[in-house]
Amino acid sequence: MAPRPVLFKCLMCGHEYDGMYDADNVTERTCPKCRSNSVRRLPAKKDK
Amino acid sequence: MMDVGRHPNVELMSFSEVESVSGFVGNFHVTVRKKARYVDPSECTACGECEKVCPVAVPDEYQQGFSSRKAIYLPFPQAVPSSYVLDMENCLGNNPIACGKCADVCEKECINYDDQDELVNFEVGVIIAATGMDVYDPTEYDEYGYTRFDNVITSMEFERLICAGGPTGGHFIRPSDHESPKSIGFIQCVGSRSKDGRGNPYCSNICCMNTVKDTLLLCDHYPGVEAKVFYMDIRAFGKGFEDLYIRSKEEGVKYIRGIPGDVVEDSQTKNLVLNVENTTTGKIEKHELDLLVLSQGVIPRRDGAQIKQLLTLSSTSDGFVMESHPKLKPVDAPTKGVYIAGCVESPKDVKDSVTQASAAAARASILLNAGKTKIEAITSNVDIEKCNYCDVCSKVCPYNAILSADKKTNKPPTIIEAACAGCGACAAECPQDAISMRHFTDEQIMAQVDALLSVDPHKHLIVFACNWCSYAGGDMAGTSRLQYPTTCKLIRTMCSGRVDEKFVLQAFRLGAPMVLVSGCHFSDCHYINAVHWTQKRMDRLWNKLDRLGIRADRLQLEWISAAEGQKFAKVMRDMEEKLKQVTEEEIEYTMKKLEEEAKKEEEKKAKKAVKRAKVTQDQEVNA
Ligand SMILES: [Zn+2]
Repeated sequence: MAPRPVLFKCLMCGHEYDGMYDADNVTERTCPKCRSNSVRRLPAKKDK
Repeated sequence: MMDVGRHPNVELMSFSEVESVSGFVGNFHVTVRKKARYVDPSECTACGECEKVCPVAVPDEYQQGFSSRKAIYLPFPQAVPSSYVLDMENCLGNNPIACGKCADVCEKECINYDDQDELVNFEVGVIIAATGMDVYDPTEYDEYGYTRFDNVITSMEFERLICAGGPTGGHFIRPSDHESPKSIGFIQCVGSRSKDGRGNPYCSNICCMNTVKDTLLLCDHYPGVEAKVFYMDIRAFGKGFEDLYIRSKEEGVKYIRGIPGDVVEDSQTKNLVLNVENTTTGKIEKHELDLLVLSQGVIPRRDGAQIKQLLTLSSTSDGFVMESHPKLKPVDAPTKGVYIAGCVESPKDVKDSVTQASAAAARASILLNAGKTKIEAITSNVDIEKCNYCDVCSKVCPYNAILSADKKTNKPPTIIEAACAGCGACAAECPQDAISMRHFTDEQIMAQVDALLSVDPHKHLIVFACNWCSYAGGDMAGTSRLQYPTTCKLIRTMCSGRVDEKFVLQAFRLGAPMVLVSGCHFSDCHYINAVHWTQKRMDRLWNKLDRLGIRADRLQLEWISAAEGQKFAKVMRDMEEKLKQVTEEEIEYTMKKLEEEAKKEEEKKAKKAVKRAKVTQDQEVNA
């Protein structure tokens, strides 16, 4: 699967930011604001 | 190389490529593609008659394109075997009408235009990867004008130009007018120690001393030549290196601390003008030079990914191959029976490469002489009764230690214990809980969770820490006398990849307000890429908590290395702060919700078991 743009959310400080996600090439995530690694890839919102 | 070629115990396969590697320590099956040379190396005497008549001329890669070679050529003078090779892509063809001149003059008749690639299979006990490196292409640094200005060359090109076996026979000239340059500049760290996104952030290790050596060569061969080196720092840390650096300065080489901002070419003289801030004097300087050498950095091999995949090697963040342990196993790859030597591991000079190669050979011979090897006590095993042949385990295994299941032939997954390193990612990912890890079974870990949360569960922080990094980070915090809250309760697993979803959910179900999963940084993972599965699993867990109406941020993830005692203590303090924000109501809701979920899960499992039993019964009846 090709890399796709996703929204990341830091679960330590709450900061949200855009990034790329590639399921075949997982990379280490670090919150740009607080340096925590508790960075969640938010699920894509389904269009209704 | 000659000695290697002649050694009775060494079979040298040059001009060949490894196609596949399977098996495990002591039992590797290797397939090598011996590429068609179109010249029989056992017959060729390298007389050179074929080369004389070949009408094709193409740039000579070995001479960095400064001279040309023929379509039939000797790759370089010391090539082993000393045999010509035909570059079929540039050859005019085997049709005698088209050409065929080389075959006509070859007295030994060793040219065969119909030669084919050959696949060779063999078995080996151990493998040493010494695949080397590539050099950085400085065209990205447009301000230096490489390829735009004739007289801007790289250090590799300099090497050919000053070499007696080079295209000019060692007569050092500059490309624009073939005159001997009187003033030569060197720019250091081109593509190394870069922070602007171009090149690489690491130090390439060899470039400083290579430039010092080059300046000494220049001073020795061409007295009176003016050499200037533009640098950030000169790193002369090896044995005798500082002496060499001092000698270079004594010879009159000027070392200017500052990296030029841009290079401009004089269109008439083709000389180069550099603008640089001399950081020692704080002044902007202009330097006019006849020739400029870019000291290009070292990069991992461009086909490195392929090599890593073949040998299940892991990669550092720089793209080089990671060793099993930086201090204790510096030449062992994480895969048992595979060793590494030279620049495949990191940029290094000849001496370090030889040292590492000797170490790798010694490590390999220990294994070969013993004829047997100890395997990990912590390995996984499959409960065939529970397995539903989904094959998730074999896809997850970073070591390819699990032979795939096949539902059609009722073949369960097979674990090669000699190849299993014990990360436990398979056990954590198995949807049927059919895989257990010896010494780290589900029951053992669940029992720890239960015990830690048996009294005042809402006061405890449950921390899953991997053996090699995070747990050691905790030790580091302890030995460094760093303060962190006593509420955190650690559960050790070999790898964070072992942390099953159900361990985390069990902790929440028993009333834990916060759970932390911690492991090695991706570049430090002791199990190649098992941490990737940790991260994927955490995404799934966060989504699940969200779905159940439980705050996702009660589950945290941190990568903590063994040296990061400070980070460990800080993370624990941050977790403590988060813990204070978790309310009693939240904990109660979580416990109730997860209890319901667990019940539903149990019911589902029971139904499945009944269904499976029925299918088996029917099959038996039919049989
Ligand atoms: Zn943050």
